[in-house]
Amino acid sequence: MGYILSDETKDLLADVKKFCDNEVKEQCKAYDVSGEWPKEIYDKAVEMGLSTLEVPKEYGGIGLDRISCAALYEEMAKADAGFFTTMTSSNLALKPVLIAGTEEQKKWACDVLLKGGYASFCLTEPMAGSDAANSKTTAVRDGDEYVINGRKCFITNAPVADFFIVTAMTDKTKGVKGMTAFLVSKDTKGLSTTNHENKMGIRTSTTSDVVFEDMRVPVSSRLGEEGTGFITAMKTLDLSRTFVGVGAVGIMQRAIDEAVAYSKTRITFGKPIGKFEAIQFMIADMEIKCETARQMCVHAIDLMDNGLPFSKESAIAKCYAGDNAVQVALDAIQILGGYGYSREYPVEKLLRDAKIFQIYEGTNQVQRMVISKNVIGKF
Amino acid sequence: MEILVCVKQVPDDSVKVVLNGSGQPAIDKIAPVANAFDTYALEMAARFKEANGGTITAVSIGPDEFKTSLKNCLAVGADKAYVVTDASYDGSDSLATAYVLSKAVAKIEELEGVKFDIIFCGKETTDSTTALVGPELAEKLGVGVVTCVTELALNGDKIDAKQETEEGYNTIEVAMPAVLTINKPHYDPRYPTMKSKMAARRKQIPTLTSADLGTDASLVGAANSAVKTISLSEPTKKQAGIKINEKTFEETFAKAMAVMTEAKIF
Repeated sequence: MGYILSDETKDLLADVKKFCDNEVKEQCKAYDVSGEWPKEIYDKAVEMGLSTLEVPKEYGGIGLDRISCAALYEEMAKADAGFFTTMTSSNLALKPVLIAGTEEQKKWACDVLLKGGYASFCLTEPMAGSDAANSKTTAVRDGDEYVINGRKCFITNAPVADFFIVTAMTDKTKGVKGMTAFLVSKDTKGLSTTNHENKMGIRTSTTSDVVFEDMRVPVSSRLGEEGTGFITAMKTLDLSRTFVGVGAVGIMQRAIDEAVAYSKTRITFGKPIGKFEAIQFMIADMEIKCETARQMCVHAIDLMDNGLPFSKESAIAKCYAGDNAVQVALDAIQILGGYGYSREYPVEKLLRDAKIFQIYEGTNQVQRMVISKNVIGKF
Repeated sequence: MEILVCVKQVPDDSVKVVLNGSGQPAIDKIAPVANAFDTYALEMAARFKEANGGTITAVSIGPDEFKTSLKNCLAVGADKAYVVTDASYDGSDSLATAYVLSKAVAKIEELEGVKFDIIFCGKETTDSTTALVGPELAEKLGVGVVTCVTELALNGDKIDAKQETEEGYNTIEVAMPAVLTINKPHYDPRYPTMKSKMAARRKQIPTLTSADLGTDASLVGAANSAVKTISLSEPTKKQAGIKINEKTFEETFAKAMAVMTEAKIF
């Protein structure tokens, strides 16, 4: 671990590790094949409080600091990145509520999660991914209500979510300044989810479209003022990106652990392959990538904790960790050779899982846009 | 219902123990954990409390570091915990340990102003594996004992305990107060929640010493123990087995029978 952790966090980390080792790591192999959402694993994890690490103390949470959350999330991603995605996604959806919500909305959302619920952050649309401002979902004011129509896609946790954060255009003429965010309960008439995506990786995480057909929500479900939805969404993603990076670090650490273990037992030319410089240097390079990514996440968290600007650093952490997770997973496959390519061994799954870290919560191209904008500035 | 659970911290039993140069178990680098059977005992006690109400106190004899295991106990069902620490207890055999525990029971009862109805122990510890402390504690306290319990239910002012034996099960009715030693039940101990773990870490665990307990120094410690350890040896290594995995179950079975017949097992 690159984090400097308190004794309390080390203690919690030991519990999370034990849970992941006993309940997640091996079990997820079968779910990776079937694509089934492992409810029984999630029920236990939710009961343990792993899905509500970021609920603030004043709303009934444990008030865990960001570094501790990152350490626990890394451990979850090490066991299974889909498990990590499910656990962190409810916290992603909670962020806009904490950023822009009223006291009542914050209490309500935190209560739902603390009672074992899930939540989804619905920004992406079929024609509005990186270009979130091209949203086709609309919210039209009608008295004390808004009527929302549209479709969101690739929404993590959607089939099991108890509430949704939905962005919709209240005034298309204003571009991103015409976007508004809403807090919507799953029971709202006009809201439906489709079948979950058959994905390449993170297969223990469930993902689907969310459809709104003349969905009426009260004005009180609006998060902040009209037109603040895009800013709220961007603030949310700035915060969450670092933790996506943390997930990618977990994948890298797992890849290194698997590659090291294999290199000590696989004999070629009369000795374990870990005795050969070719393998040693590969492992060193994997470790360099993993540890530098981890430290970048820690740095972004440090800036957040100190109230300093962190948008660029958060984007770097996510982008760098995501890109390197793919490479480190590839390296682990290479070290395991033919066995690495076999689905009988755990490393090919790491590659499939790692790929999404270059795509979700802002593609790594979008991260580069954020970073370059910060570096070059307006001119 | 007042419940006491006795917990011993032992070296992680998933790690193989070898003897060091001086013939002692090399356990310095093995992580200490709560004895597995004691964790089953605590889980059974916690479920019993959830069904019947009451308070669970956990107690451990050992150095201050044993508080780590006790804090885990506080996160998974125990309401209070005490650690009994005294250098004079080092090396005590099971009888001396039971004597110290019996004095601890009396002291905790005095401090808390309660009388324990049930005292749970693991059926044995995974380090010394004597399975003696529970029954010896019952003897010292002058109460009934049921060993190897896998289930229990409240029956008026008595307990119905299901005892696992070599042949099957006995259902034993025992009056309270009683000592129960617990075998592995059909369920696993619960995981602590993040919240319960953080709360447990903040709880105080009082330390009791020989002065608090008023133990007789001539009855405790290695020198005063009836059992003397002459030497320790590592278990003999098991021979590698034979793996039989034929194409069909019938072929596998036939091969296994042939191997055993040839080895004159039948």
